[in-house]
Amino acid sequence: MPDSRSSRSTRASDRLRRLLVVVPYVVRHPGVPVQEITRLFEVGEAELLDDLNMLFVSGLPPYGPGDLIDVQVEEGRVWIDMADYFARPVRLTRSEALALYLKGKALLGAPGLEEAPALTSALTKIEGGLGEQTLAQLAERVAVGGGGHAARALAAVRSAVDGREGLEIEYYSASRDQLTARRIDPEHVFSGLGNWYVVAWDHLAEDERLFRVDRVRAVRPTGEIFEPRGLLGAGRPLYTRSDRDITVRLSLGPSAHWVAEYYEIERVVQHPDGHMDVTLPTKDLAWMAKLILRLGGEAKVLEPPELARMVTDEARRTLALYRREAPKGGVGGTGRPGPKSPGG
Amino acid sequence: MHPLERLINLVALLLEARRPLAFEEIRALMPAYQQQDAASAKRMFERDKDSLREVGVPVEVSSTDVWEVEPGYRIPKDQYYLPELAFTADEVWALFVAAHAPGESGEAEQAFQKLSAGTETNVLAAMAERAPAPGVDPSGPHLGAIADALARRRALRFKYRPAQGKAGQREVEPYALVFRSGHWYLVGRDRGRKDIRSFRLSRLMSPVKEVGEAGPPPAGFDASRQLEAGPWGLGQPVETARVAFSPKVAWWAVPAVPKAQVRRTRRDGWVDVDLPASQTDSFVSWVLSFGPDARVYSPKAIRDQVVARLEALAAHA
Repeated sequence: MPDSRSSRSTRASDRLRRLLVVVPYVVRHPGVPVQEITRLFEVGEAELLDDLNMLFVSGLPPYGPGDLIDVQVEEGRVWIDMADYFARPVRLTRSEALALYLKGKALLGAPGLEEAPALTSALTKIEGGLGEQTLAQLAERVAVGGGGHAARALAAVRSAVDGREGLEIEYYSASRDQLTARRIDPEHVFSGLGNWYVVAWDHLAEDERLFRVDRVRAVRPTGEIFEPRGLLGAGRPLYTRSDRDITVRLSLGPSAHWVAEYYEIERVVQHPDGHMDVTLPTKDLAWMAKLILRLGGEAKVLEPPELARMVTDEARRTLALYRREAPKGGVGGTGRPGPKSPGG
Repeated sequence: MHPLERLINLVALLLEARRPLAFEEIRALMPAYQQQDAASAKRMFERDKDSLREVGVPVEVSSTDVWEVEPGYRIPKDQYYLPELAFTADEVWALFVAAHAPGESGEAEQAFQKLSAGTETNVLAAMAERAPAPGVDPSGPHLGAIADALARRRALRFKYRPAQGKAGQREVEPYALVFRSGHWYLVGRDRGRKDIRSFRLSRLMSPVKEVGEAGPPPAGFDASRQLEAGPWGLGQPVETARVAFSPKVAWWAVPAVPKAQVRRTRRDGWVDVDLPASQTDSFVSWVLSFGPDARVYSPKAIRDQVVARLEALAAHA
């Protein structure tokens, strides 16, 4: 355990951990290419060869003839003999098993994942097969919800990413509250906060854009193959600041404070009465008006005045839906979203 | 001798031992422990033993004689080896995707490597054919410890920062872990509030501390029912709301709600839907977030709340 030599001993135990999986793999796949091992076990070639050399002088004490592990590395391939006791990997630690199991479960929460059936059956095998009681007991105490939306376009988008094929999409942009047609070169698909996102080059904007896959209403491959532009994939921020952003200032009541941690904000002024003034940049005001509707009185617009007008306008238009006569028969009086539109 | 070499030899020796070996016997067989000072050799051995356990190697201690004076060490084969789980190539791939998703990954990747090393499947071939891995969100550093406590029914204490209100200490008897919209939630009985609550893991402000045994969940508690609510939050819906959505949003808004029932599509494209709902602020807020693209018909209580909030907003100008 951690002591004065911990850096060295940690390194040794990390290397042991790796060898206890590399050796069984090589024993099961005699003559496996070095490159396959380095890729699969995420280890550098020099490091791997170093470990294998160490293995070569190791074995079963008292190291009689035939007790030393036999390692051969020839023409980029590896063979290991005389290590029958290492022919199968060591079991998972409790925390390793938990970590993989829970990540697998979380992935099942990304709706519409094509690997879901295989992942489900693999996790079932892990639950039952690892001997430890832990996972078997945990199984019924862990629940995963789709949460986001079953993205119908997901399969088409993933396959376009694989094939580097351009797409034409019909897209609902929440920030602008509009349906638009776009031509995109999709480079990455990833899931975040329960939603699927596609990172793409947008030919309309001539810039990179992030699209939510569940907001893609229709998708059609263009048949054109594109050269990837090296856009950032998973782990990228969902929002990036730009010079053209509009600055919005809101006063948030106590139950709207979550806005400050959910969205990228620039400045916070906390008042003693529990209110909080925040400054947040945005590309469009349309979604911001919806956000303020959602906060229903717990947020007040300080700036810009046009946003305040948009909010009252949206509220009035929504209210108009309720003020209309009750629907008669088949056609709803709730018909269209404008107070000026004819009844139904 | 390099520590790695010593560790490999020690694993081989203890794994092949037919009976527990006393330290003196191990020392006699392994030159690495044969320095003059027996006490320092023993300390080195103790450290090695800890290293092995850290990696997941089960070193068993039992007595070597009937008087139980001298402890003996061995690695029981049935506990050392990973059981044969016979994964298919698709399953290995799915586990690869899971293990390499963004977030806390070190241990999950180690787990994957052990599992894949034990399969006959040609893992790399399976991986090479496929698309890059999609990501899920980071799960927070406390997930493992909480899952462990949940499995063993231990109560937990931690500091928590709710979305609204003040941060403070919580003591919780864990009932379930729930993953929803990119976040893990712990659902359990809050001892201070004497009620079932949910806690988003990303709002924990301290590591979790186990504080004794936890009681079982109430009869009929079902972890999966926590997920029956729609995108507005966790919990069990108690009533049905009828809501109409405009054609602009209905196609993505309706599929987002589990168990939403489409009643009809009007001639102008508006869609009437029955949603599992509750008279909570979060449901009302969710409906309001659609603005003039959603209208609540029933129940009256929810409709009235929506209208009241809209009137307040409309009056602001």
